[in-house]
Amino acid sequence: MRRSRLWGRLFYGVTGFSAAMPLLVLLVIGGVLFYDAYPAWRFQGFSFFTGIDWNMGNMYANGPMTQNGVQAAPGASFGILPFIVGTLGSSLIALLLGVPVAVLTAFALVYRVPSRVAAVLSPLIELLAGIPSVVYGLWALAVLAPFVEFQLGPWLATLGHVVPYLAGPVGTGLGMLTSGLVLGVMIVPIIAATTRDLLLQVPRLPMEGALALGMTPAECLRFIALPYIRRGLFGAIILGWGRALGETMAVLMISGNADNYTPPNLYSPISTMASTIATLLDSALTDFSGMAVHALALIAVTLLIITMLTNLFARLMMQLGSRDIGVEVS
Amino acid sequence: MKTAIKGVMLAVTAALTLGIAGYSQGDAGIAMAKTTTHARAASKAKSTAVVKLQETGSTLLFPLFQLWAPAYRKVAPSVELTPNGTGSGVGIAQASAGVVQIGASDAYMSNEQLMKSPGMLNIPMAISAQQIMYKIPGVPAKDHLHLTGNVIAQIFLGKIGYWNAPQIQDLNKGIKLPHMAITPIHRHDGSGDTFLFTQFMTDTNAQWAKTVMYGTSVSWPTVRGALDAVGNQGVVQVAERTPGSIAYVGISWLNKALSGGMGEAMLQNRAGHFLLPTEQTIAAAAKVMIGATPKDERISLIYAPGANSYPIINYEYAIINEKQSGATTAAAVKSLLLWAISPMGGNKQSFMSQVHFLPLPPSIYPLSKAQIDEIHA
Amino acid sequence: MATVLHKGRSARRSIQSGVLWGVSILALLLVLFLVVDILWLVVVKGAAGLHVTTFSTDTTGIAGGLQNAILGTLQLILFSALIAGPIGILGGAYMALFAGARSARILRFVSDVMAGVPSIVIGYFGYTVMVEHWGWGFSSLAGAISLAMLTLPYIVRTTESSLRQVPKSYYEGALALGLSPTTALRTVLFRPALPGILTGMLLAVSIGLGETAPLIYTAGWSNFNPTMQLFKNPVGYLTYVVWTYLNEPYDAAHQLAYTAALLLVLLVLCLHIVVRVLQRQGTDPSQTRS
Repeated sequence: MRRSRLWGRLFYGVTGFSAAMPLLVLLVIGGVLFYDAYPAWRFQGFSFFTGIDWNMGNMYANGPMTQNGVQAAPGASFGILPFIVGTLGSSLIALLLGVPVAVLTAFALVYRVPSRVAAVLSPLIELLAGIPSVVYGLWALAVLAPFVEFQLGPWLATLGHVVPYLAGPVGTGLGMLTSGLVLGVMIVPIIAATTRDLLLQVPRLPMEGALALGMTPAECLRFIALPYIRRGLFGAIILGWGRALGETMAVLMISGNADNYTPPNLYSPISTMASTIATLLDSALTDFSGMAVHALALIAVTLLIITMLTNLFARLMMQLGSRDIGVEVS
Repeated sequence: MKTAIKGVMLAVTAALTLGIAGYSQGDAGIAMAKTTTHARAASKAKSTAVVKLQETGSTLLFPLFQLWAPAYRKVAPSVELTPNGTGSGVGIAQASAGVVQIGASDAYMSNEQLMKSPGMLNIPMAISAQQIMYKIPGVPAKDHLHLTGNVIAQIFLGKIGYWNAPQIQDLNKGIKLPHMAITPIHRHDGSGDTFLFTQFMTDTNAQWAKTVMYGTSVSWPTVRGALDAVGNQGVVQVAERTPGSIAYVGISWLNKALSGGMGEAMLQNRAGHFLLPTEQTIAAAAKVMIGATPKDERISLIYAPGANSYPIINYEYAIINEKQSGATTAAAVKSLLLWAISPMGGNKQSFMSQVHFLPLPPSIYPLSKAQIDEIHA
Repeated sequence: MATVLHKGRSARRSIQSGVLWGVSILALLLVLFLVVDILWLVVVKGAAGLHVTTFSTDTTGIAGGLQNAILGTLQLILFSALIAGPIGILGGAYMALFAGARSARILRFVSDVMAGVPSIVIGYFGYTVMVEHWGWGFSSLAGAISLAMLTLPYIVRTTESSLRQVPKSYYEGALALGLSPTTALRTVLFRPALPGILTGMLLAVSIGLGETAPLIYTAGWSNFNPTMQLFKNPVGYLTYVVWTYLNEPYDAAHQLAYTAALLLVLLVLCLHIVVRVLQRQGTDPSQTRS
């Protein structure tokens, strides 16, 4: 009997340790990143977020320079505003296009398509979520970029005198609009699946009651279902946004990699924070002062904090949302 | 009463087995079965000392390493060499960090980099060049545009925005240039080609020398519409599909870029002549410059004097840590490099002419060999 | 008068309703079109390069086969499943069985945050810590651990929720019937939850399969088949081929990238089918029971 207690304890301990693993890993990653990033913060201060000049400095100069008590290559300056604008711009385009499509798709799946057909279509849409991001990049390069370059872009550019930001030149199809489009496609399955699950959990009774009172199905949706799922939906959108912010490879393949300027128009090449870490890590490692790597770590910290915040916010929303419905949402 | 643990273990094992069964569907199933046999084969081979060598870095040197890898496999079957075209910055960084055995770079390491990573050798393997290429619809490839370093610098500084700007048109009296926006394309990754290009710019444009300067990564001046690409391959690919583009491309990519419809510019050298990079013009420049090569072989060959000297040439470096992780690895790296610089081996004309490189000059060979001899475990 | 007004309003309302449904159906069609377009591109272009030699030869410079990448991908996801699987399942078990409401909520939140960490951040961590600082070099272990970090939260969460779906009363009932706690755990909790747990594992595997960013900096790349060495031996994988070879200006390289993409999509498709089957098996008995 004693041995069984011992085994029970052991099982409890091992499972507890395993459950703590994500927390431990997150703490270690966070710790390493903060430690790596701190010198860059000392070096650059808040202008890290407002500067537009990313310059590792002169690698072939003789000796480092010292600024704010830390050393960097002469001429070094690390401003990531272009990367921030590129990240926010492309992810907002993604939301603007992806969210309506995703939500409407969920409407159609739940209320308009016979459930048998929906049972076939839903997995297809979920498959979209499983496609590797490099495959999205491949598709975007082969299909989306030419579409933006020759069709969508020139057409949007004709609206340039109404909205100056839409004015040309359209360029090569590698840039913010294409990045936003592919991110939009990538977040559709996430938001659509959650919205569908939420809609399926809306209680039947009020819906049927409203129908019986003579509301059109669309009005039922608008006045009964939407209020129920509002917060959950908002949470799902924030989660999708978080995904778009952190996406690396697909964007890397089609963003055009801009340096040192914020995108002057919708089609301009951009760099995002995540893609910058991926492309510049190696050249940063050639910095004899090490400061360029610290600066990349600071970008990573920024991304990590944004991820925490979006997740926190999304969970909060979803919890409030599940309270609305009265059932546990995922 | 160990059933609790046993139960969990059972569940875990079941999960894993089924999981494996899950992803070994179809083709993957066959492949999965192969994993084990290959692992066995590999471990057997281990006893006959297979040495895995990783080369990474310069995309200019990459096509040559591509040719070398299968050829060297015949010379030394037990050496598995994986070349990788990732950019000279990667070559310098990863060789210094010791995560690859051979870094490739078109740029030599700076004094400060060597202070940070002592014991790194910069060993020239061959002589290479860089050309300036452009895509202008309506200008036939045989009409090589005449360009000066100063004009190119002004384009990359954003001061000249159109192909028919007077500064360009004046250099090309016979060619009708279109009123088309110029799209400069530069390298996003740390690149030896950037190093060579920006050295040429620094030598020919005063503003460049003061503001941008040179290096494997520079802070590019803001030019509307300018594009960044990764690697020479990326530059060629982006430049080909961008009408109005101008780009600097390593000479091992010349054939590919020409077949993609790019034009090759004649560059003005220090003596004022406009030249294409050919075997003769590269050799002429090399002849003037290599005499000053120091023992550690770190030297710029850019903007050579002489009537027939092409202005952008360089040594292609293997960046090696003189201390390798083991005796077998050290020996394998040594013999690979010795084979590579040998006129009978990697420096054979048949390899060199495919990538438009020049073999290592006889006067430089002993210097490179002396450096290779310093490699030890 | 009143009826006319009523008629007008109801007409407007039904038009509104019609427009909404029309747009919804259009959105659904658009999404389906995108799925088909992506699959079509990959299948048509990828199949053109699919030969027996794709599976039997290694990648060379700009072309060749994909054997090393296929085997490397399998090795990486197998190793990562061996790391993340036990930890994730045990951790999920703790959250479902032992954790209080409050600590379970915190652990769940942590898992979600971890699932949301951009993969390149993990890549950065893997490179600077494992590859450089610990001197592992580009290696299967560094790659597998990075993948395990990415997939762990999914396994934890699905294990927890599938264990939670088994009513606690079963467990208590089994205890009351005199079964030992451990036997009860195994038979009434884990057995019905198994399909759910497997689903989580497979989904995690399919996530690992599609990752690129963290692997570039941890697994590196090799033109040769993976060895069973944990350290210092770089590994090839399929996503690398898609990403790098597309950047090469050669048709043969592009072809190989498309073929690699096709294999990736096929693997993901297989996993999804297995997951569907498992889910059906998982839901049926519980439905009959409740």
